[in-house]
Amino acid sequence: MWTTAVVSGISLGSFYILMALGFALIFGVTRNFNLAHGELVVFAGYVSYWLWKVFAWPFVLTFPVAILATLLICLGLQRLFARLCEPLELNSIVLSFGLAILIQNSMLFWFSGDYRLIRIPTLSRGLRLPGFYLSYGQLTLLFLSLTVIAILYILMYRTYLGKALRATIQDKEAAAQAGINVAVMGTLAFCLGAILIGLAGPLYGCIHYLYPSTGHQITLLAITITIFAGVGRLGGIILAGWILGLAESFAVILYGSSWREMVAAVLLLALLAFKPRGILGKGEQ
Amino acid sequence: MSFFASKNTKFRTQGLKFDSVGFVTGFLLLTLLPVLVQSNNYILQVFTHALLLANLALAWNILGVSGSISLGHAAFFGAGAYCSAVLSLEYGFSSWFTIPLAGLLAAGLGLIMDLICLRLRGAYFALATLAFVEIPRVITDNWDELTHGSLGLVGVPGLPSLSLGTWSVDFGSSITASYYFVFAYSLVLLGLVRFLFNSNLGLAFQAIREEEIAAEAVGIPANRYRLLSLLLSAYFTGVTGACYAHLVRYIEPGLVYGLHFSAIPMIFAICGGRFTILGPAMAALIIYPLNQFVFHPLLPAGHEFLYGVVLILTVLFLPAGFWGSLRKVS
Amino acid sequence: MTVLQLKELSKTFNGIYALSNIDFTINEGEIVGLVGPNGAGKTTLFNLISGRLRPSSGKILFEGKDITGFKPHAVCKLGISRTFQSSRPFSRMSTLHNVLAGQVFGKGFSLHTRPEDEQMAHELLDVVGIAHKAETLAANLTLSEQRRMDLARALATRPKLLLLDEVAAGFSPVLVKQAIKLINRVRERGVTLLIIDHFLNLSQKVADRLLALDHGEKIAEGPPNIVMKNREVLRAYLGMRYQNEEY
Repeated sequence: MWTTAVVSGISLGSFYILMALGFALIFGVTRNFNLAHGELVVFAGYVSYWLWKVFAWPFVLTFPVAILATLLICLGLQRLFARLCEPLELNSIVLSFGLAILIQNSMLFWFSGDYRLIRIPTLSRGLRLPGFYLSYGQLTLLFLSLTVIAILYILMYRTYLGKALRATIQDKEAAAQAGINVAVMGTLAFCLGAILIGLAGPLYGCIHYLYPSTGHQITLLAITITIFAGVGRLGGIILAGWILGLAESFAVILYGSSWREMVAAVLLLALLAFKPRGILGKGEQ
Repeated sequence: MSFFASKNTKFRTQGLKFDSVGFVTGFLLLTLLPVLVQSNNYILQVFTHALLLANLALAWNILGVSGSISLGHAAFFGAGAYCSAVLSLEYGFSSWFTIPLAGLLAAGLGLIMDLICLRLRGAYFALATLAFVEIPRVITDNWDELTHGSLGLVGVPGLPSLSLGTWSVDFGSSITASYYFVFAYSLVLLGLVRFLFNSNLGLAFQAIREEEIAAEAVGIPANRYRLLSLLLSAYFTGVTGACYAHLVRYIEPGLVYGLHFSAIPMIFAICGGRFTILGPAMAALIIYPLNQFVFHPLLPAGHEFLYGVVLILTVLFLPAGFWGSLRKVS
Repeated sequence: MTVLQLKELSKTFNGIYALSNIDFTINEGEIVGLVGPNGAGKTTLFNLISGRLRPSSGKILFEGKDITGFKPHAVCKLGISRTFQSSRPFSRMSTLHNVLAGQVFGKGFSLHTRPEDEQMAHELLDVVGIAHKAETLAANLTLSEQRRMDLARALATRPKLLLLDEVAAGFSPVLVKQAIKLINRVRERGVTLLIIDHFLNLSQKVADRLLALDHGEKIAEGPPNIVMKNREVLRAYLGMRYQNEEY
């Protein structure tokens, strides 16, 4: 039973990492909190669902379209965020709160409140290993998340562009002084974030019911992981995602699934109360 | 001297006459509403709900005026609703008693929140409130023996009745009576908020909002006063939640702790005018009925997009809120 | 009579000494100038005295009472007020209300503003010369007016000791003359003053004594003309472009 919890925790955590990366990147570079993040993930999921269900597209082909759709929306959002003045963090929270309501209601209008699920039977099948069962779904999540993280790592730490991004994350003003076009970095962050969201959305639609108001939970998870990791620490996000995934898994086993929703909230509150700079204490507030 | 044109206001005196005009107009319209709409129950219900939201917005702004943005005020709303509902349903107490008591529970919750969020400001405080609301929600959802969990509470006793000598009125007996109950509460709350904001406490709250460090330097204990604004805000939010429970007589965790009651009061307060007394109520009384009468029929699903749009427009173009901006211009 | 006494006051940040072993006394009615180059620890000293920072070691005594570690609002209530290097107005409140806040909360508390309080606030605005701007939003004041409002706000708290942080920074000679007049007016009200003056254009003319810091340590104290000729003080300022304007 415990191995199942660990396995499910790690794979769930890997998915959480994927979901949180977009949020963390946008926040790190632009200091904008995007509370509409969850709604965007759900939106991407809906796009994928619609193509898969109504037009019978193969699931894998829905990804590029979902990503493109999310990209377009995120570019529009970025225009709005760019108009904000100080304090950026707080103003972006209020703005994106409004955006979340707008997007959520738009989805309610287009897709109705019915629960949707992208059923991919292959994903439920899996490997029977000593002591536990590993579904193809979990395997895909793990594999996909790690691949994306690896690509992102290469981008951030092995390219000049990544260096510019990291510089902007660390100190926007100093980066601007060094000749980095901070506005372009912001747009780039939104684009990368959109791609990550577009990837996470359809996956979310496979493992979880899609309905307009589920975005809220996703946003909470993304916030928790980002704050846990501290700003600009990629490694921290991986750790944070897995810890959160494991915490939820174990909470479900010990206390039943009805307490699951409180885990992220309690963790976030504890973080904010005691370690707002991130768990390793070196991120910025 | 009209209601708002007091020189003792702690807000700039510009725009005070405007406040008075707005208040008197609103007061007359709302007092005569049942007559004006010939007791159309649907319209009365909409405005009862609008008044309820106006109260929530006013209560939210008690915290807002001291500079904190809360995204999770439904925690207090739901706690108040459940406290009053359970006490009156399961234990038979009169709602005259349980409603104020519910406010105290909500205030207690506010104390806990303050202890957790003591050092948090701005964006991080807002995020904490977003997380905080989950805790009473999940607890209420799981405490089946007391709250019936996600099934909700059915048959909550109605609004209380009042007997003065030979004359008595049961506020729960008709839609019109309930409307006047909530309206009376709104007037009381508005009066309290006006008193509070125009007192030296209002001065302290604004100073903390503007420059906490400078406020401390002139002798204002910021943490203490912020706590006070939070407790008052939580108390009245809880009382409003209790009223809601007795008004609709059915509550469930997802609803009373939900985003609707966290977001909408905040939106009305910000869009109406965070830096005014009347603004939040004005926004509630204009936007909510607008939504219900115009947008809801057009878009049965998704009509609440209006709230998102209004908030976005306010943040980007009219930070003082529409009532606040009108005051400035007047 | 001793108003303020600093005993072996030190403050470290992550092991680095921002202030080390400061011993100093200020007497009633004095104007003391706190001088020193950038990073000497002047504002840190203000933050310690006013309660915004807690000392790492040492004591602060105000009128004989140990106020080490007291919170800023408590320190204010006891009689020490300060202004800030970069003006911190309550931006979205009127100038009058800015000063009124100090008047009402500086000593004790009352729920309602008494007429005397409002009158006092008006008077203070008059003292600093911005009475005509009482209803103006603080955000709309010029820099000089904001500085004067800061002073009025601090005075409104009825301090016995007033800490002025860079009150004349960026001022033209004309404004410096006005600032000196204001400071003397404050002294006439019976307030003891400790003034941070980084540029030395003010304190040399108005201070009774100077306290010179460098790298967190006291390097000289005494009358201005003596301190300014002190070798250590000159060495601290050497290497820094500094213009000594004659008036």
